[in-house]
Amino acid sequence: MEPFTTHTGKVAVLDWTDVNTDLIIPARYLKRVERVGYGPLLFADKRYLPGGAPEADKPTEHGPVDPDFFLNKPESQGATILVVRKNFGCGSSREHAVWAVAQAGFRAVIAPVKGEGFADIFEGNAYGNGLLPIELPIEEWETIAQAGNGAEVTIDLQALKLTLHGKAGDQTFTIDVPETQRHRLLNGLDAIAETLLDEPAISSHEAQAPAWITPQPA
Amino acid sequence: MPETLFQKVWNRHVVKATDEATLLYIDRHLIHEVTSPQAFDGLRLAGRKVRRPELTIATVDHNVPTENQLDIREPMSRRQVETLRTNCRDFDVTLFDVHGGRQGIVHVIGPELGLTLPGTTIVCGDSHTSTHGAFGALAFGIGTSEVEHVLATQTLWQGKRPTSFGIEVRGTLSPGLEPKDIILAIIRQIGTGGATGTVVEYYGPAIEALSMEGRLTICNMSIEAGARAGLIAPDDTTIQYISMGDRPFAPKGKVLEAAIADWKTLRTDDPSAFDRHVVLDASQIAPQVTWGTNPAMTVDVTGRVPEPDKVPFSSAEDARRALDYMGLIPGTPISEIPVDVVFIGSCTNGRIEDLRTAAKVLRGRKVAPSVRALIVPGSELVRHQAEAEGLDTIFREAGAEWRESGCSMCLAMNPDKLTPQQRSASTSNRNFEGRQGPGGRTHLVSPSMAAAAAVAGHFVDVRSMLAQGN
Ligand code: SF4
Repeated sequence: MEPFTTHTGKVAVLDWTDVNTDLIIPARYLKRVERVGYGPLLFADKRYLPGGAPEADKPTEHGPVDPDFFLNKPESQGATILVVRKNFGCGSSREHAVWAVAQAGFRAVIAPVKGEGFADIFEGNAYGNGLLPIELPIEEWETIAQAGNGAEVTIDLQALKLTLHGKAGDQTFTIDVPETQRHRLLNGLDAIAETLLDEPAISSHEAQAPAWITPQPA
Repeated sequence: MPETLFQKVWNRHVVKATDEATLLYIDRHLIHEVTSPQAFDGLRLAGRKVRRPELTIATVDHNVPTENQLDIREPMSRRQVETLRTNCRDFDVTLFDVHGGRQGIVHVIGPELGLTLPGTTIVCGDSHTSTHGAFGALAFGIGTSEVEHVLATQTLWQGKRPTSFGIEVRGTLSPGLEPKDIILAIIRQIGTGGATGTVVEYYGPAIEALSMEGRLTICNMSIEAGARAGLIAPDDTTIQYISMGDRPFAPKGKVLEAAIADWKTLRTDDPSAFDRHVVLDASQIAPQVTWGTNPAMTVDVTGRVPEPDKVPFSSAEDARRALDYMGLIPGTPISEIPVDVVFIGSCTNGRIEDLRTAAKVLRGRKVAPSVRALIVPGSELVRHQAEAEGLDTIFREAGAEWRESGCSMCLAMNPDKLTPQQRSASTSNRNFEGRQGPGGRTHLVSPSMAAAAAVAGHFVDVRSMLAQGN
């Protein structure tokens, strides 16, 4: 996993509540065998004009996009921070939803109200994939949402600060991230990366294993 | 303190332990096309390698057609198979592909290849990995994220250690009875959740008398009782299986001798070491037939479809729903239930002995005109062996279809499916709703019972058919 220390990027604002994972990525795309390629499938049934969504096996081939959808606004191009309303990612447990958000280029998702911003499973999957879910008090969230698509934000995970670089100067807020998750993100550790820290123990287990346990070359 | 076989194998594989978790070393990792693609992509995304590619072995089984393995028409199925091929190439993993001579259901080829050895840990993204426990290996199914974890680290985090559950099977099986009847009788007695949170060890004279094929059938269905894994202690039968025949990955010569000395220590010191214990008498077991939609919904072939309020482990409402799905009326004798399709195969009963048993019943007899019978060997090796013995001729002359190897109608991911309301006698392991095709009705039985049903056109006590001779 890529470490997350500080990140500066543009925001894209989706002003909807209770966005479910079916909306984030429709079920027909779960037939895919890959863990990559989900970026263009994010919000596939909203992002393209009717009939324009990609086929499951050709995710990059799509018809015309809907210019009114937030992702397609000129100011949202290149955005890396997704701003959403409450209960984002509710519905099914599909990790594909997080893959789609992350692979569309987002490094963080900002939702309002501590404990209410994200569905539990989505939040867990997000941490596991290096996508930082941030919950802000409603007024602070409003400040960022109102700055609108294309506004610039810096997230400093080391200092636990989030700064909105507004026209009238910077506004800085405190963010709250569980310590274990913060440690993992700062160091770019996923479950595998953490296990790999035990490499000496794994190697020494292998060194004392009996000869017969290794398969003979076929 | 006396230890169980399970504890001994577990302890040997602890890399690191904390209060609530244990990091276990994994000796063998089997993969197939369905549950591995995202795991490989995860590795790619993180720029990781397979830590020890020589410990991972792949095959294609779930999606492959059995009429002609090379001709996968369904595009998504084809893609899954081709993805595995690419992944194996890219990550240097050995793949036993179709028409290579060694392809087959992942749990059938492990033992054949000499990969499945006593005292090892074996995982696969597949719940029937419990099969390999027949050799005294600690073998269990894992999810796709865990597949990736094992590929990258050759280890797996486990929560608290499962408890151990001893199932002792005394006595001797009567003629016409099979290992499948033993395991169905066990699940019928303890329920589908009866072994949850435990690792089961099967032992006693009736187990020791079984061939490796029979032991594999028993351990295969441990998962149907909810067990994490099933185990049978290695003995001379095990050692003979491993040292005889063409098992390319098995130890040989001096290394094998050292292994055997070690394997002899792999037994439960004393039954008192089990956390739990039940006893069955094999001589009391009759041929088993499932009537419902879980493997505990089982009766003797001489019995009747039960009243819904007399079904152990199920509420009357659940039982009624099962009866309804299966299209059965309480009180109907099992022997009056007609079958449309007979499926002999799967990782439960797709090995050579199973086919020999089925052939014994089908020799000189005909499949009833109303029945379609599919015989699907569990591997290419099984297929070739059966053909060398002329079993394919017996099947064809009886009017059964002789197929190529794969999972086939066990789960209907390939074109072999039941149509709605079609009723099967199946040697596989799950009679869940829709398992063999949407709306299909599955009755689980032994291979000889399946063959007998094919001939009669309905369930029949195979003992009476065998008594009539040929
Ligand atoms: S034969 Fe059936 S149970 Fe066995 S691995 Fe294949 S699908 Fe799974």
